[in-house]
Amino acid sequence: MKRLHSRHWVFLGLLVVITAAMLLRVPMQLRTSPETQRMFDYLDQLPEGSVILVSFDHEASSLPEIRPIAEALLRHAFERDHKLIGMALLAEGTVIGYRLMEQVAEEYAREYGEDYVYLGFKPQFIAAILSMGESIPATFPEDYLGSPYATLPLAQKVSSYDDVAGVLSITDGSLTTHWIEYGGARYNLRVMAGVTAAMVTTYDPYVSSGQMHAMIGGLRGAAEYEQLIDVGGGGLRGMLAQSTAHLYILLLVIIGNVLYWREKKNKAGKR
Amino acid sequence: MPDNKALSGGLVKKNNFLLIVGAGGAHVGRMLLNLALIIAASTAWFDMDRLPTLIASVIAIGIVAYAVLRHKHGRKFRMREIAGLSALDNAVGRATEMARPVLYTPGWGGDIQRPTTIASMNVLSHVAARTAQYNCDLVYPTHDPVIMAVAQEVVREAYADAGYVERFKSDNITYVTSSQFGYAAAVDGMISRVKPASIFLLGTFEAESLILAETGNSIGAIQIAGTDSTIQLSFFIVACDYTLIGEELFAASGYLSQDESILASVQAQDIMKVVIAVFLVVATIAATLTATGLVDLGEWWMF
Amino acid sequence: MDRKVALAICFVFGVVMFIQYFSGSSLARQVNQSILEYWQIVFAFTLVVGIVGVVRTNVQRINKRDDVFFRIVTLAGIIIMPVVALIWGIKADTPFMWMFENIQAPMQATVFALLAFFVASASFRGFRARSVQATVLLVSASIILLSRSALGGILADEIPQFAEWMRNYPSMSARRAILIGIGLGSITTSLRVILGIERTWLGGRR
Repeated sequence: MKRLHSRHWVFLGLLVVITAAMLLRVPMQLRTSPETQRMFDYLDQLPEGSVILVSFDHEASSLPEIRPIAEALLRHAFERDHKLIGMALLAEGTVIGYRLMEQVAEEYAREYGEDYVYLGFKPQFIAAILSMGESIPATFPEDYLGSPYATLPLAQKVSSYDDVAGVLSITDGSLTTHWIEYGGARYNLRVMAGVTAAMVTTYDPYVSSGQMHAMIGGLRGAAEYEQLIDVGGGGLRGMLAQSTAHLYILLLVIIGNVLYWREKKNKAGKR
Repeated sequence: MPDNKALSGGLVKKNNFLLIVGAGGAHVGRMLLNLALIIAASTAWFDMDRLPTLIASVIAIGIVAYAVLRHKHGRKFRMREIAGLSALDNAVGRATEMARPVLYTPGWGGDIQRPTTIASMNVLSHVAARTAQYNCDLVYPTHDPVIMAVAQEVVREAYADAGYVERFKSDNITYVTSSQFGYAAAVDGMISRVKPASIFLLGTFEAESLILAETGNSIGAIQIAGTDSTIQLSFFIVACDYTLIGEELFAASGYLSQDESILASVQAQDIMKVVIAVFLVVATIAATLTATGLVDLGEWWMF
Repeated sequence: MDRKVALAICFVFGVVMFIQYFSGSSLARQVNQSILEYWQIVFAFTLVVGIVGVVRTNVQRINKRDDVFFRIVTLAGIIIMPVVALIWGIKADTPFMWMFENIQAPMQATVFALLAFFVASASFRGFRARSVQATVLLVSASIILLSRSALGGILADEIPQFAEWMRNYPSMSARRAILIGIGLGSITTSLRVILGIERTWLGGRR
């Protein structure tokens, strides 16, 4: 058998730690971060019936992290009786977005066409964002299910970004930057986002400069939001696994440094 | 005697021609009328909200023009050494010595209109010239068909310029998939199977950056990376031997080619940076003084 | 000659798109909309180029007996997915979507999940207190890691607060500086392309 290298032991350890944490059920209480609170307050204080554009700008790969974020935000929006228009800038996000909206709408007995519509996917994200700024019906002549745009009661009220309260981009990459640079800068569209943990620091400068109105990030953001709306979900469930993985990495860093210093000391002793 | 048939045919042709010209003229006239109506209906020729952007753009263009003109009048300047770019030749040399290929990929995040991709093409051209000279295989997987087509041309031309066009293998420059992790898996697979001695990760990278860089690290390849994605820079710094930080990648074109006009535009970048720094200092002082209530300098800086 | 035409097209469209950005008129909007529509149409055709390239390369490599199994799987995917989509469509509850949700999505999630393992190995190797700067990096990374886990808040309220401060001030200012540099680099590169100084995107310097 091939000898295992240190990296393989590191991988194996992580697998064991995460699996063990997933099997345990420990209730957790989290401190809400100001960004999550800001997102919650915005959706909470919007007048009932406000139209929000929800863009599923992610691929299938990040679903375990994206799903709790999207579910928490959709739940809050439907609970507040906001009207949602869904769409996707990446082909893979299309069906995921549709299923998520359908599932959460069902939980709150919301009706397709009246309370939410799903426009589907548009390729070439920059062109799509700019084009919607000119005309949403021209960009999406029909919805995801094939119904003409004009036949949907909710869609009839929306012709451009002027008719929506903002866009909520659910993303695992840098697509929200395009919403900020093209939708926000050019059409004054209010941009909010639910992003994976790896992308949080990318968007921090936009939040602090006000170019992005609000953001929730990663599994932790989803868990905080679930606490705020008082509906449990994947965020709170996954937090234990994430926390133990973080602690495991911290332990690795300590071990790595101990080994490094021991090696350094040995070398110094030999001289 | 003229042929009546031919004459009438000529008249018919002439009439048809006149009809076509007439119809075409009417069509053009209608278009012009429509255009005039659209122009008349246009109320705001200039969007005043975009005045600050216009001013900033004009200043930027002015600075670039100034730098290019100054260069044409003989003012030279030297660019500081960029370690990552200086190491390019050594990396190709190492691959040649080890008889293993070089792998170059521009990341999943960009398309051809993105400045980072264009900057990456400049470096590719240089690397391809070296692989041509050293007779070393160059493998270039990408996620975008247009990038693939452009890269093939860039590499072909670099090989031709080096005088080794017969060494160019277009099959080595391939489109793999547009899916992010499909691309990551494909490139990861290539790295594991082909075991390139040197890996260049230059372009727009997203979450796939660490997957590629760590796999490259695990096979002991020398890795030179560069991107404009700030978050991915931290991954590259940990896992790669050299990292070009943001604008260093944009400066690569001038650094490698020593083209006067391109060098001038890099210098323009530095002038703009000084302008921005001065603006930031002045605005910070103005904002601080206004906030303390000592003097009211307004909020002109908050455009 | 052909390169001059491409450069001229690039210059004209670059200037038109620049000017129309500053105009609020309906004419500018129509021009913008039309160009964007053509952009999308052109993009659709470029995919054909990519697919032809993938098929050609894989067939050639199969003939050379180079990674035959992987290449057959690739070609099978390229053929099966569009055929299924053409027959039953790509909406929800179709065979195409079943394959997407049950084959493609889990495979992609698996590759994404590799990131967790690579973060662990990179941290183990990279975060060493070799110098003062490296130690600062190490300590900051540890605080951020703690703050993003539930334990951070339990140990002390100050940990998440300090982590937020680090993200919002020292880290943010460094990133802003890098972003400004990147922005300026993008501006000058774009200007070079529009003015025809930069020609590599056409396939070469000449």
